[in-house]
This record gives sequence, structure tokens and C-alpha cells, in this order.
Amino acid sequence: MSARYGMVIDLDRCTGCGSCMMACAAENNVPPLQQATVRTGLTPMLVRKVSNGLEGAARREAFIPIMCMHCEHDTPCVKVCPQQAVEVDKATGIVMQMPQRCLGCRYCMTACPYHARYFNWWDPSWPAGMEKSLNPGVAVRMRGVVEKCNLCHARLHEAKEKAAATGKREIDPADYVPACVEACPTGAIRFGNLADRNDPASQDARSPEAFRLLARIGTEPKVYYKSKEAWVRALAESKSGHGPETGSEVQHG
Amino acid sequence: MKVTRRDLLVWSAGAAAGLVVTPVPWKLLDDSSIWSQNWPWIPQPTRGPVEVKQSACTLCPNGCGMRLKMAAGWPVGVAGGSSHPISRGALCPLGFGAHQLNWHPERLRTVRRRATTSSWSEAKAAFAKACSEGPVVIIDGYPGRAASSVLESFNQKRNGSYRVVLGRETRALAPYEAWSGVPASALGYDLENAQTIVSFGAPLLDGWGPPGRFTRLWAERVAGAGPQLRLIQADGSLSRTATRAWRWVPVQAGCETALAAGVARVLLEERLVLARGPMPPLTLVDAASQTGLTTDAIRDLARTIVAHPPAVAIANDDNPAIAALNVVLGAAGASGGIVRRSKPATSYVGADAAIPSARAVLIDSSVPWDFARQTDAEVFRFAAWDGGSSKADWLLPAPGFLEELTDVPTAPTSAIETYAVAPSLVKAPAEVQSAAQFLSSIDPTLTTAEKIIHARCEDLFRGRIGTLIGRDRTSVAKLDSVQKFEEQLWKGAVWVGERSRPDGLRCELQVWPTAATSARPESWSATWPAPVLPPLASKLYKESSLREPPERRNA
Amino acid sequence: MSRNTLIFGFGLAVALVAGWVGFPRALYVQRQQPLEFRHKTHAEKSGIADCSECHALREDGAFAGIPAMEKCAGCHSERIGESKAEATLVDNFIKPGHETPWLVYARQPANVWFSHAIHVKRAGLACTECHSTYGESDQVRVYQVNRISGYSRDIWGHSISRLRRAPHEGMKMSDCEDCHRRHNVEVGCLGCHE
Repeated sequence: MSARYGMVIDLDRCTGCGSCMMACAAENNVPPLQQATVRTGLTPMLVRKVSNGLEGAARREAFIPIMCMHCEHDTPCVKVCPQQAVEVDKATGIVMQMPQRCLGCRYCMTACPYHARYFNWWDPSWPAGMEKSLNPGVAVRMRGVVEKCNLCHARLHEAKEKAAATGKREIDPADYVPACVEACPTGAIRFGNLADRNDPASQDARSPEAFRLLARIGTEPKVYYKSKEAWVRALAESKSGHGPETGSEVQHG
Repeated sequence: MKVTRRDLLVWSAGAAAGLVVTPVPWKLLDDSSIWSQNWPWIPQPTRGPVEVKQSACTLCPNGCGMRLKMAAGWPVGVAGGSSHPISRGALCPLGFGAHQLNWHPERLRTVRRRATTSSWSEAKAAFAKACSEGPVVIIDGYPGRAASSVLESFNQKRNGSYRVVLGRETRALAPYEAWSGVPASALGYDLENAQTIVSFGAPLLDGWGPPGRFTRLWAERVAGAGPQLRLIQADGSLSRTATRAWRWVPVQAGCETALAAGVARVLLEERLVLARGPMPPLTLVDAASQTGLTTDAIRDLARTIVAHPPAVAIANDDNPAIAALNVVLGAAGASGGIVRRSKPATSYVGADAAIPSARAVLIDSSVPWDFARQTDAEVFRFAAWDGGSSKADWLLPAPGFLEELTDVPTAPTSAIETYAVAPSLVKAPAEVQSAAQFLSSIDPTLTTAEKIIHARCEDLFRGRIGTLIGRDRTSVAKLDSVQKFEEQLWKGAVWVGERSRPDGLRCELQVWPTAATSARPESWSATWPAPVLPPLASKLYKESSLREPPERRNA
Repeated sequence: MSRNTLIFGFGLAVALVAGWVGFPRALYVQRQQPLEFRHKTHAEKSGIADCSECHALREDGAFAGIPAMEKCAGCHSERIGESKAEATLVDNFIKPGHETPWLVYARQPANVWFSHAIHVKRAGLACTECHSTYGESDQVRVYQVNRISGYSRDIWGHSISRLRRAPHEGMKMSDCEDCHRRHNVEVGCLGCHE
């Protein structure tokens, strides 16, 4: 199977609830450490709030979920990794990060144009007993390694295994649904094989309202966004202008 | 022969040369690299066969369908139950951390009397003594359950009172109860048939009712599936619902009463509705000045509301002005508006109503932690998690998430009756006991919650109406035994009743209501009954600045 | 021979002996399995013909591995033989309801994903390809664990130099890669890692 898995996120439908962030963190055994800040946090899926910069009745806001864009071309993190701890998977297009191979130089975090990579500053720990509720399909990382969204590859593995056990050659698309896609209450996140022209996600990605973040730098991200609102699209392409609204200055390092 | 330093060096050189051609350095390199990635303090997930179970979330009265991954008896993953007819596979963000809540550091595991540890037997003795000395008030935060029935019947035999804490969605239906005699617990919102929804600050897309119900409906309609749905959000600030609404009407916070009155006035004056009254006393000019809108804006809003009927107004509290607007719109007791969903129903007395002086107050674990009562009575507070300093005399550890068998009555806001069961999937810690179990042990003549659940299943089965929706849809009439009915329910199926005729609700309103409520702006987590957030939620919201962290609760 | 050569040789000899003989002995420590399970007895006496009768694939495709106690209790809920091993099984594990704490020879790190379903069902590999004829063995194999890495000796292979290995010896990543290369099945990192 040669697929190109990607996502199309409808920003007109994202209400900024954070269910995707929660489901992602639970699925990926992200430790609930309370000491992290916006700078040192670990959020493979991160929802940011943006606005059109006006106040009063003319103000408009939107929410943008950001995760690894799974860049297809000249993937920056792959190019800079001294350990070859990340590669673009040939069969699926998923940019697969191997935390166990990472030595923690964080060069990839600098290289990523989307700030979608996170560092494990601390050893993971859970309140006593809570480790019983960890997802068995995903390995727990130690401190000192970088991690990011892997498009819930553990679910892909489960789907592959189920297909093999039932004698099928291809996985059933309904079996491989990343946690964020499953969690979104408005169905804003759509997932599918972008290489398959009949796939609904692929069709969405080719619609006129679809756009990609920082498309001009040519990394060919496989995560698309969609919005009918012109100000949101303009924001995606602006060279300067209104950045994400957060309580403090956000600079991922 | 003297052994010199040189000998030692030569010997070491030989040993070093020899070592290189042994496996020692190479194997040690490989092994130590593995060793350095296997620190024993890194927790490992549970090993074991993974089972998938369907159940319902019991953390709040919405009872969203939930699919759980279980390994070795512990919940290791949570997702929405896609076959649930109301929640439709969605959960609130906090639900995704629900399976970890039982190990929250603030989990209560021992009986506490003020600052000291006590025991169940002492608590029972104290409560029994209190019952014999005076009336007891029992407060329930999740009425309609079998356990609620136990709580209620305990008091019926004694000179006590049973009070409930209702969510804002149900409290908003209180005015209709006053005008029709139909209890608010029998009413619902028929959103599926509405085409225009005017929300007066109700966060429809952000934690109103079961999250999936409206978000899925709205998303489908926005995408063009089904009849148009216009969501008009009248909100003091750009809330999440307001950002996504079809139109945001920026009104001054707290001016919902004026806006409702202004709109009703326009509707009646311009004969945009069939109703001929009641006319609000407020003039349009006054309404405009209070809300901060122009009179033209209010006129435009009124016309827009009725442009695509049916229209319904949704309040965020029991503000009767908005309910009156619904009467004017013709939405009270009509398709797409406020409907009556069940036949017999209980009229609850809210816990806000004056509580007669009591000897003791027993607060069930389902009551939100920030429910505070000024009372001199001895307070017996059941809770699974400690929300902060407690004014309770007794802090009694209750079962946490999915630790006891409970039933799931119809979710607030639903337009049809539903019934489901959430079996005990997780082993409860030894020391916990629910309020219903506590009372049953004090008064053995009470029927247990479990027996009541079985009796209810029996009643539903014998009624022969409705459908069981799980993996498949089965009409109840086609089932041949109550065991089959229960089997499906225990596996996560939901019983759904029939859509009742909306005209089961008839409101009599001659005069525009004057009583207004003080709309206390609620934070996003205020309706979350557990006093603690899943640790992942507090972490994620902090790291993303997506929401304000909730204030620490005190009770 | 000069004195220096002798001493050098002496050092060399000590290192060689220590490295080739002493080191493997010191590195590995033997652990006892909870009881003496005999595959042969089960194959002969109870007519269990195929590995998959106990080591089966579950519905979702996951592999049962060493069967859970439930499987053993299917026949051994009471003692049906006379062996000491069975007595241990029934008295210490089945009756009290504890899972038998087997030491797993093939245990891989948490970040490794190996799918029996894909290798056995889709690729058609026989159990003996990786597990040799253990299914016919008369006694439970010795379990040796590497003191430093914590994994079973079977992962590196019995031979400390990894030379002159038996065909089924070794379950390190390079062994998986070798077989994949031989059969021309490309998987990438994503194919095997969690």
C-alpha cells in the first residue's frame, strides 16, 4: 500500500474546546506534569487562538489546531537530524519520529517551521497508580528526547494487525482513525489518504477554501486547513501580522 | 623477581589488546545503551489482552456514551460511543481524561471527620444519631438515577427533605413549569427540528448539554446536510459559541432580559408572530439603551429570528424573560422548540429553595463541589475527590469513575426519553461507599439501587415501546425476554423512547414576567461536578493558554 | 622470549579468558521459571496438535503469547496428573487466581511492535522459523537474563560473539532486518516501532 496520509482541518468548525488535545495526550501517554509552561510544554496537538486584530463588534476569532504537518518535501527535521531518528515513511507518508533513537540535540525543533516538536524536559511520571491507565500500544518516552505527532501510528499498527488476522490485504479505513479525529465533536478534523483522489479528505484538500500554513516555504505539508473566512486565509499567508493570542509570549525553543 | 611498574603497564597493554578481541567492550556498549534507555523509574503501561467495552460516562448528568479500552481490568483508553443517539460519539474534553481520574492525587480514600481520619462505622453512628434527633436534608446533584430513588425514599419515611441541584440547562426550563404545570424534568429542547436558534449567552457549542448533541447537529447543518440552521448568539463577549455562530449579537453582559423584551415587543408590534401577547412593558428605546444595540438592530434581529422558522430561544439560566420570548415565538410546546418528552415526571425542589432548619445535611457525591450552603447542621459530604477546604463535618469517600453500577436517566435538554446503564467496570478501592449504599446500610428496608435498576428495566421491557440502540437497533417489542433487554443495556446499548407530541406542553402566560435572575457568569468548568480536573486537562490548558485554569473550589 | 613479551602475553591470555569465558558467565544470571512446563507432555498426552491451540491470535489480531491462566484452567482447574509442576500450577496459581509469572524469552522493548498476525497469517511463517522446535521440547528451557540490559539471553543469542549461531538464534533488530532483507520486505521505521 502506498498512501499519503494527511488531514484537512475545517477552521469554521473548530470551537477551540481542546478535546483533540486531550485525546492526543491520553493516546500518546503524555505525562500530566504540571510544572511545564507554554515554552516547555509537551503538546503534540496544540490548539491556538487567532484573531483578526480588531476589537469590539468587529472582532473575529478562530482556533487553529497545530500538529506535525508531515512535510512531504525537503522535510526540515529529517534533513537536520544527526541520528536519523526521523524519516518520511515510504508506505504511508507519515513522518515517523523515533524518540528512542533521539539524542536530544533539539536541532529538529529549531528546524521545524511549525514549532510542532516538543522536548521531554523531565522524566515522565504519573500520580501513584495512574500508570495503570496508560495506553499499552504506545511506548513511554524518557527525558531528553524529542517527540511529536506521529498520526497515531499505534492505531495504524492495530489496523494492520486486524487486517492481517482477518485475511485482508489492505486496512479498513474505519480502523485507522487518529485520536484527535475521533475526538473532535464537530468533526472539524478530517483524516484520509491524500493520494487517493476518491478519499473525502483528499477532495477537501483540493477544494478552493483549503490552504496550508507557510505554503510558500515549499515543505509540502500534508495537513491542510479550510475556511470560508478570508481573514483566516490571509492570516495563514501573512508574512507578519497578528500572531497567536496567548497569555504570554510564545517562542518555542 | 620484582614486579615493577613497567611490568604492570605491559601487562595492562596485553590485557587491553586482548580485551579488544573479546566481546567485552562491544557487548558492554550495546548493553549499556539499552540499560540507559530502561530506567526502572519510567512507568510502563499495563500488559494484557485489550478488551473494548461500551458504557456511559457518569461524571455529569449528560451521560455521554463512552467506549473504553480495558487491559487487565483497568481503563487504558477512552473514546466517545459512536452509537449513542444523543451524544453521537462525542465527549467533552474532560471526558478524555476521565479514565485517569480515579488516581487523581486528591482522590478521597478514607473517611474524614474535620481534620482527622475516622471510619465508616463512626460516620454511620453519627448519621443515625442525627436522624433520630431531627430532620435531615438530602441533596442530590444527579436526580433521576436509581440511587436518587434510594436517597429520596430514605427521607420519605422520616421528616426530612430531598433537594436537587439542577444544571443550568434544566434550570432554564423552570419558567415553563410555572406556566404549564409540567415539571421541568419532563421538558426538553427539540433542537433537531429548529431552524433558527437564538442563544442568550448559553454556550451551545462549548459545554451545553451532552457536547455531541448540538455540536454534531450544528456541524452537519453548517456543512449543508439537512435543513438550514442559523445559530444567533447574543453574548456579552466573543465566547467560543459566538465565534462560530452564524451571527454574534454583542449585547452588554447581563442585559438578556432587556434584549428578550425588545425582541418580543418588535415581534408583537410588527405582527411577525401568531401570538398576540404578552407585551413586555419595556419600550424599544429603553431596550436599546440597556443592551447597547440600536433600535434598528433589535428590529433587524427580531425579523431575522422569524425569517427561518421554527425559531427557539435558549437561556443560560432560569430567566423568565427568555422563556416568555419563546411563548411569543410560539416555541413553547411546538416542534423545534421546548417540548414535553415524557408522561409522568417528578417536580423537583431545587436546593436553592429555602431549606428548613435541619439537624443534618447529606450531600451526594454528584453535587458540584462549589455548591455551598450556609448551615449550622452537621454536614455529611460524599465525594470521590477533594476539591479544597471543606466546611463539611464529615468527608466520606464515594466511588469514582465507573466504580459502581449506576443507571443513566435521560440527559438534560434531550427531546426524547433515554435510559442506559453504566456497569462497574473498574474495581473500587476498599474504603469507598456511595450515599445510597450508606443509607441502605442504615435502613435495610430500603430497596437497593441495583434492584431498582432491574425493576426499571423490567418496566421498560414490559412497556413494549422504544428501541434499543447499540451495535444494532432493536425494537423493544421484538425482544422476547427482559434478560435480553438487560444484556444489551449492560453492553452499552441505549433505550430510546418515542418522540412525544410536542403539544404536550401548553403554557399560559398573560403578563410579561418581571422577576429576573442575577445571571452569575459561570466559568467553563463550573458545570463539571468533579471538583478536580483530569491532570492532563490542567496541564494542557496551561501549556496552550487555551482556557483559564478553573479556580480552586472550596466547599 | 623477552620478559616484556611474556608479561604482555600473560595479560593477553588473562583478558582473552576473562572475556570469552568469564564475561558471559558473569553477564548472565539464571532465573527459574515458576514451574517446569513440558511442551512434549501436552502435545502427546492431551492431543494438542498445533501451536495455535494455546498460542492463538485474538479477534483483534493481537497475539496471546504465553496463554493466560484461563487457558490452563480449561483443563487444569483440578489436578489431572501427578507431576510436581502441575501441583504448583493448580495450588499456587489457578486456585488463588493469579497469573503465572512466566519469564518471557522473546520479550522485546516497549517501543517494538511485532505482529504475529502479519508474520504468521499474511507472510505464512511457521512458528519454528523463529522459535525453532521448542514446541516439542521435553523440558522448560533455561532462562538467562542479561544483568545490564535486563533482557533475556535469547535476544542477543546464546553465542556471545554472535558467530556460528543456530538459525533461530537472536532477536535483535539486526536479526529482523536480515530476514526482511532476505525476503525483500521493506518496512521503514514505522513498520516495527511504536
